[in-house]
Amino acid sequence: MEELIQRLLQEKLARDTQVKTRRHFIKNCAQGLGGLALSSIFAGCDPLGKPKQTSQISFSERDLNPLATLAPPFGPKVKSVIYLHMAGAPSQLEMFDYKPALQKLSGQDCPQSLLEGKKFAFIKGTPKLLGPQAEFKQEGESGNWVSNFMPHFKKVVDEVAFLKAVHTDQFNHGPAQLFMHTGSARLGRPSIGAWATYGLGSENQNLPGFVVLTSGGNTPDAGKSVWGSGFLPSVYQGVQCRSEGDPVLYIEDPDGITRDLKKSTIDAINKINKEEYAKYADPEILARINQYEMAYRMQIAVPEVMNINSEPENIKQMYGVEPGKESFANNCLLARKLVEDGVRFVQLFDWGWDTHGNVREGSIDLGLRNKCREIDRPIAALILDLKRRGLLDETLIVWGGEFGRTPMQENRGNTKMAYMGRDHHGDAFTMWMAGGGIKKGALHGKTDDIGFSGIEGQVSVHDVHATILHLLGFDHEQFTYEFQGRNFRLTDVEGQVIKEILA
Amino acid sequence: MDVLKQLLGRLHPLIVHLPIGFIILGLLLQWYDRKRLTYQNVIPLIYLWAGISATLACITGYLQYLGEGYAFDTIKWHLWSGIATALFSFLMYAKFKTFSEKYFLAKIPLAALSVIFFLLISFTGHQGGNITHGEDYLVEPLPNSVKSALGFETFEEKEIALNEENWENALIYEDVVKPILNNKCVSCHNPKKTKGELLLHNPEGILKGGENGEVLIANNASKSEIFSRMNLPMEDDDHMPPEGKTQPSKEEIRLVGAWIDAGHPFEGTIKEIGLPQELFLSFFPKNEEKDHPDMEIAVASKDSILAIEKIGVHVDLISKASNFLSVSCVNKPSFSDSDFESLLSIKNQIAKLDLGGTQVTDSIFAKLATLPNLTILKLDNSVITGSTIDEISSLEHLKSINLIGTEFETSNLEKLADFKNLRKVYVYGSKVNPENIVTFKEGEIHVDYGNYELPPLASDSIVY
Repeated sequence: MEELIQRLLQEKLARDTQVKTRRHFIKNCAQGLGGLALSSIFAGCDPLGKPKQTSQISFSERDLNPLATLAPPFGPKVKSVIYLHMAGAPSQLEMFDYKPALQKLSGQDCPQSLLEGKKFAFIKGTPKLLGPQAEFKQEGESGNWVSNFMPHFKKVVDEVAFLKAVHTDQFNHGPAQLFMHTGSARLGRPSIGAWATYGLGSENQNLPGFVVLTSGGNTPDAGKSVWGSGFLPSVYQGVQCRSEGDPVLYIEDPDGITRDLKKSTIDAINKINKEEYAKYADPEILARINQYEMAYRMQIAVPEVMNINSEPENIKQMYGVEPGKESFANNCLLARKLVEDGVRFVQLFDWGWDTHGNVREGSIDLGLRNKCREIDRPIAALILDLKRRGLLDETLIVWGGEFGRTPMQENRGNTKMAYMGRDHHGDAFTMWMAGGGIKKGALHGKTDDIGFSGIEGQVSVHDVHATILHLLGFDHEQFTYEFQGRNFRLTDVEGQVIKEILA
Repeated sequence: MDVLKQLLGRLHPLIVHLPIGFIILGLLLQWYDRKRLTYQNVIPLIYLWAGISATLACITGYLQYLGEGYAFDTIKWHLWSGIATALFSFLMYAKFKTFSEKYFLAKIPLAALSVIFFLLISFTGHQGGNITHGEDYLVEPLPNSVKSALGFETFEEKEIALNEENWENALIYEDVVKPILNNKCVSCHNPKKTKGELLLHNPEGILKGGENGEVLIANNASKSEIFSRMNLPMEDDDHMPPEGKTQPSKEEIRLVGAWIDAGHPFEGTIKEIGLPQELFLSFFPKNEEKDHPDMEIAVASKDSILAIEKIGVHVDLISKASNFLSVSCVNKPSFSDSDFESLLSIKNQIAKLDLGGTQVTDSIFAKLATLPNLTILKLDNSVITGSTIDEISSLEHLKSINLIGTEFETSNLEKLADFKNLRKVYVYGSKVNPENIVTFKEGEIHVDYGNYELPPLASDSIVY
């Protein structure tokens, strides 16, 4: 026994040396000295001279179950978030940002004044302006512009609030995606979904709080860090589920292991763990017990919620799902089911929006149109389906890419490209939000006549984050996590809630 | 000679800083040297220079007064206190010189003299500053609340107080336009500070216009400068209010425009002028959509909550800003009518109740009627038919009922007409016939039948 304790102590020491920094040491010194002085003063003051109570181990429900729900500081407008990210950056100029003047200037050289001091991913020399390759119409009562690439979206245009002048300072996919999802272009920060589940937990104790679904044949360039937990405890990272095959890898019991056998295994492990807890009273042990039980429950609940076959035929048609395949439509339907079952944050990534014009799939008049078709019906269906279930009032939908695309045609290597395409462009692009707390049919921000930069209502990525947190019931300036000696925020030291699109 | 006089006068703002510097230097040195007494020879010299430069400042100041045409009333305090400062400098000089010992000066403590001297120079300097920069120069940047607490007049008026009931009877100028102008324009366009010779604090000023002529063209907002300048882009030098000042909201600008288009009446109510309600909606108090009643409630006991959570029902605070609770059976599908008793210990705090997908039946309604603050109710995917739903018509806070996927009957929909605050009912996938659209309470209760469709389009199958 003594040997065991020795080993545990050694392990703790080793861990501490890994984790603790000079800063901790100095901080502890200061507190320790101050504490010594104070305790001598207080001891002298205590008239009854009661013996000191030995400190008791205290822990909250959170220690035992890291996904236990927590109340937000302010009244939340939404309970859940569905974030639709078009990885590769969709062209705002072919979808929502209508620029008739650009059509007239199409084929002309881009003015030098716009190019000076700008960095582009591929454009070299003087590119030519390229008019919109889609036809636009004002739709709905709001009269917001939607292109013919998104015919079904017209039906829900009055539900969404457009941000027409979002800007980012990153022009390559990886850093821009990281920035869009973690508030920093460098690795190491928690994603929005991780912040949300850390701050609020998740209602359904049989499902993960933060689910990630990908489509388009690839995962985002920035890797899994876009749904990572950064410096937050790793339990808050997104759980990637698949719409093809097992929804979560290794969720099925192995051959020959029955459900009963699994249960008795977990019961036995937990029994040992409980004995350990009785001995050491370490809350980590309780957390472990809890995790085993949750995993066991998830084995039933996850395949159930991830099964879209059980949905009625008219719903499947409305979304345009293809059961058994990996598709954005499937993921939209899954997103609704997950949110309906109390999942806090559902993150969808759809890959294949990088329309440079170098290949047919990456052309703004052909490939982009195919991508738009793949998301158009599912998005409209998602909004309408949430609406009729009363869920749109308590769910926030965010749509966008990591940046936008240039009003100029890409001229990679100063040559004419095989297809029509646009380069990466972070100065102004379109995003939209819909759902609880959002002003229906709103329009915020305006770009110049050719859609190069924002001239009104410019908002940053941090502003978008501040708004999402606001709708979840947080003040983005107060919602912090202490790491390496300082309090970190999703919005770092920036960000303002975009009041113009709030109801 | 006049030229010289005027030139000397204009040197006053320069010269005044010499005595100020000397006096402050002398006082600081006095304090610094109070124990060591090593600079006692220097201090009188400093005060002598202070006296000489102060005398020069007095002379140039007087010349400036003559040359620049100030009213005597404006400058009299500065003038007399300036002369007093010059005299006091010599007095301090005398105090430090040994020959003062014979005089009355010896009896007055040095500290008292120094304090008086400091107050005197501060007062004189401040008076001078007020003459050149205006009396509200220091006060102006302060927030209005501080300003009025200090006793300064502010032009900030009450917020525009309109609501659903009173908006038509509000006076268009007095209650709406004037507060907007007062809040956003009058701090620079008032009788004391009249930028561009324009006064916007009263109708006469507004009608008269400024140095560029009229600012109002009746019935033509876009030609009226008062409106068009607010609409210029921020970067434009002519944009009003200037960058850095509080900007009017889009709604306020739109309202001023509508007022001008209606012939900028200074009298009459909104109703008489006939402006539409939507112009004023943003000034109505915000009915914040909340998931709970807008009132205080006692905190629910921790033990009761723990007891309920033990049976698998989630109980959560809606937010830390209130004590109302949200109760959910998402992980307790076996919840039945008989389990309801367990919730009674927190019945006053329950604002959101999610019984979706549980075993509850129509007899739940009688029990739900005992939750006085129930605001949002979900009964989706249960077997209720709604035959007794009128039992909860007394719940005055109930805003939303979710009945999707239930056995709810079309005929029971009418029972909702008596509900006082009900706004939304979701009946998709229930027995309610979506063809048979019922409107009651003039559409105040929105029934969502959920029969949305996305019919196939030809473009659905075109692959490019």
